[in-house]
Amino acid sequence: MMAETVFQGDDGRRETTGGVHAVPPGVAVAFFRETMPFKELPDSEILSLARHCRVDFFPKGTRLLTYNESEVTHLHLIQRGGVKAFITDGDGKVVLKDYRGVGANIGALGIITGRLANLNIEMIEDTFCYLLPREVFLELIRKNSTVAHFFLKSFSEKVVDTAYNELRNNRLSRRANEDLYLFNATAGDLIKTLQTISASASIQEAAAAMARHGIGSLLVYADEDPGAIIGIITDTDLRTKVVAEGRDHRQPVTAIMSGPLKTVPARALCFDVLLKMMATGIHHLGVEQGGRVVGVVTSHDIMVQQGNSPYYLFKEISAQNEFRGIYPLSQKIPDIVRSIINEGAKAGNIARMIAILNDRILSRILELLEEKLGHPPVRYCWLLLGSEGRREQTFKTDQDNAIVYADPEDEQEAERAKSYFQRFAAEAIDHLVNCGYPLCQGDIMARNPRWCQPLSVWKGYFRHWINAPDPLELMHSTIFFDFRCGYGAERLASELRDLLVDEVKKQDIFSYYLGRDCIANRAPLSFFNNFIVEKNGEHKNSLDIKIRGLTPFVDFARVLALRYGLRETNTLDRLRLLMGENHISADLYRATVDAYELQMQLRVIHQLGQIEQGTLPDNFIQPEQLTHLEKRMLKDAFTVIERIQTVLDKIFPAA
Amino acid sequence: MVLADLLKKLPWFRPRHPLIAKNHAAFKGFDQRRPLVDYSFVVLDTELTGLDRGLDEIVAIGAVRIDNLQIDLGQTFHTYVRPQRLDHTEATLVHRITPEQLRRAPTLAEVIPEFLAFVGEDLLVGHYLELDMSFLQRAVAQFYQGTLVNPCIDTMRLSQGYKEVQLGYYQNQQPISNSYRLSDLSREFQLPLFEAHDALEDALQTAYLFLYLVKKFRKGGLITLQDLYRAGRSAIWKDH
Repeated sequence: MMAETVFQGDDGRRETTGGVHAVPPGVAVAFFRETMPFKELPDSEILSLARHCRVDFFPKGTRLLTYNESEVTHLHLIQRGGVKAFITDGDGKVVLKDYRGVGANIGALGIITGRLANLNIEMIEDTFCYLLPREVFLELIRKNSTVAHFFLKSFSEKVVDTAYNELRNNRLSRRANEDLYLFNATAGDLIKTLQTISASASIQEAAAAMARHGIGSLLVYADEDPGAIIGIITDTDLRTKVVAEGRDHRQPVTAIMSGPLKTVPARALCFDVLLKMMATGIHHLGVEQGGRVVGVVTSHDIMVQQGNSPYYLFKEISAQNEFRGIYPLSQKIPDIVRSIINEGAKAGNIARMIAILNDRILSRILELLEEKLGHPPVRYCWLLLGSEGRREQTFKTDQDNAIVYADPEDEQEAERAKSYFQRFAAEAIDHLVNCGYPLCQGDIMARNPRWCQPLSVWKGYFRHWINAPDPLELMHSTIFFDFRCGYGAERLASELRDLLVDEVKKQDIFSYYLGRDCIANRAPLSFFNNFIVEKNGEHKNSLDIKIRGLTPFVDFARVLALRYGLRETNTLDRLRLLMGENHISADLYRATVDAYELQMQLRVIHQLGQIEQGTLPDNFIQPEQLTHLEKRMLKDAFTVIERIQTVLDKIFPAA
Repeated sequence: MVLADLLKKLPWFRPRHPLIAKNHAAFKGFDQRRPLVDYSFVVLDTELTGLDRGLDEIVAIGAVRIDNLQIDLGQTFHTYVRPQRLDHTEATLVHRITPEQLRRAPTLAEVIPEFLAFVGEDLLVGHYLELDMSFLQRAVAQFYQGTLVNPCIDTMRLSQGYKEVQLGYYQNQQPISNSYRLSDLSREFQLPLFEAHDALEDALQTAYLFLYLVKKFRKGGLITLQDLYRAGRSAIWKDH
């Protein structure tokens, strides 16, 4: 068509003189500048992308892609609206995989692998998309390693499975050094000793050799020349071609091998190797050096090497023999959190992971302290309270801890224990501060003599709280009801829990007060963009997701756990047990868990973003910064709060 | 012979300019019954010095192509136009165009051939298109002694049709707004928003509106251009 030759590609031709020019619209350019991973591209590249774009509109309910049927011809980028990604299992049951909103992409995996769509995609809102033709997208990936890497990373299967893609992609900027490994290490760095087998060997002999060496693949060489590799057999071949097909295992390995072997040069970057694996769908590649195959590299080898492993940090903390060695390790926890978020961890798992690492740091500090100060005179237990006690910490929050020790035999022992644990607690808390755990404002810490006491005194505290509930005191004591053993004699914590469960059972009025308190506890709020936000003060018009969003769920789970004698402290575990014992319906359980986890996720990602910008993490979320989809999910979560208050009102009716 | 020469001077006996003849031939026996996706559209907007069809002039033209019912961002047209009465114009400009930009801009005589080449045999779409077309047709008549016969679709009339259908479905629902201004409709339908009063941005805004309406209608079984005509009732007219 004539118009094409005249008007394409002449952007800026007469722009300054006010002439005809086919500039891409500013809105599209701005979109790419704001959207990962395109925003890191040079301006010329962004202009070119915008010019190659098409715009399409899909009314709500449109099916864009169908699993295993649709060919993916364009990368779709959501400009406005939202979609859901789901698969339908053999029984016709729909399994939701993902929600995607503004800025998210659809179809990248299909384009890169050249396969049919791997998910069903359906519009859940009226949706406008930018469409990037498949060839343009492939060319972009080929030319630009950052973009390629962004997509590769998002394909690791764990990530594809997660329902939290949107949160991750939108909220977190990527850091330059995060994946240096892929760009530094080469295929040659990863290979292990080469294991080969003759082409005339039987399948069984090959399987035996693999079992003996504990490896998942063997290279096959031609009989006459051990250096001439003609193919490869893998665990998968044994499973799919031998066991599944009932093939005779006395047949030669050549019957099931794949050949010729696909190879990469030993100097190829791991990144390029991974790209080749993704593109070909072949996960075992030969590594070639000087014209010879010197080994095999697998996608597993590469993934395992990727840094920021929580397990690695855990081992490193345990290995420290000096306090000073522990301090810097605790600063690595945000990195770990970021990497597991990137891998698709949900907030519940993230909090548990943080608890395990924090516990490990605490344990190592107390072990070293015991070595330094000598064996404690009596058994003791370091209690963790509040969010630590519930294993729901996100990032560094105030220390809330206490010590309970075994009742001393006599006056002398009592004195010795008192002075030992005073000193012990004071030093422990200093070390924890050095690790980055700030002091508790309310001084609820083991170094406060009031909270460093023998078991009998602690029992007295709990009896007092339960039997003479003073509303104000009750409010301040709730964090004690979520205690757990952080280190030391678990028995002591467990005895205290026994007492708590028994006393609450005897005193219905206690849980009644606590329950009414949960219902009454709704501070004045205003609506902004249809959102419940703070009315006044520094955080006006922002949402305190901890107090407004999460606390109602924590309180709900706590009061019912106490009421029904459950010993668990973790909110999700409490909810699960409450459902298991039929105290709450399965429906309410699902709703509360979903709402709670979503908010935890928003919070952890919000805080991680702050830490990376060098500001102190807080709980204040700006509703206007949320995407449409996030807002909707959050609004859904808030409606659950009303439901749980109704349930509480039934269990604890107003007089 | 004398009579023939004389007749040629009268407009209705003059042979058509080849470009006009080609345009008319292209739409002879035009078939409205094909699926919408088969047609190609050019969505356009003009910036004018005012609304007086006799006195005012075009100062900018923006356009974008839609084919396969998708907006092709690589197929855009945008130009400023130097008006004949530049001094008069400067006083009345309400757009974001500077007098300097207009002084450097090509004249309508230079722009119209390029614009017609861009439009080709596509259908024309615009918001209150009648106004833009009256200015464009006047220019075409001036340079080619004829008019274009590309079928035209007005998104304003289409919006009216769409809203009537919607209200028909939801008897009790009051329309959110009775305004049919492009910016108000875009807000009402929650479309991505473009900068107002720039010919290309307005053309894009109109293109988004057009896609939205057509595809929303299409869910209700609207398939062909003729269906669109019926749905919008007066949304389409033939401008001969």
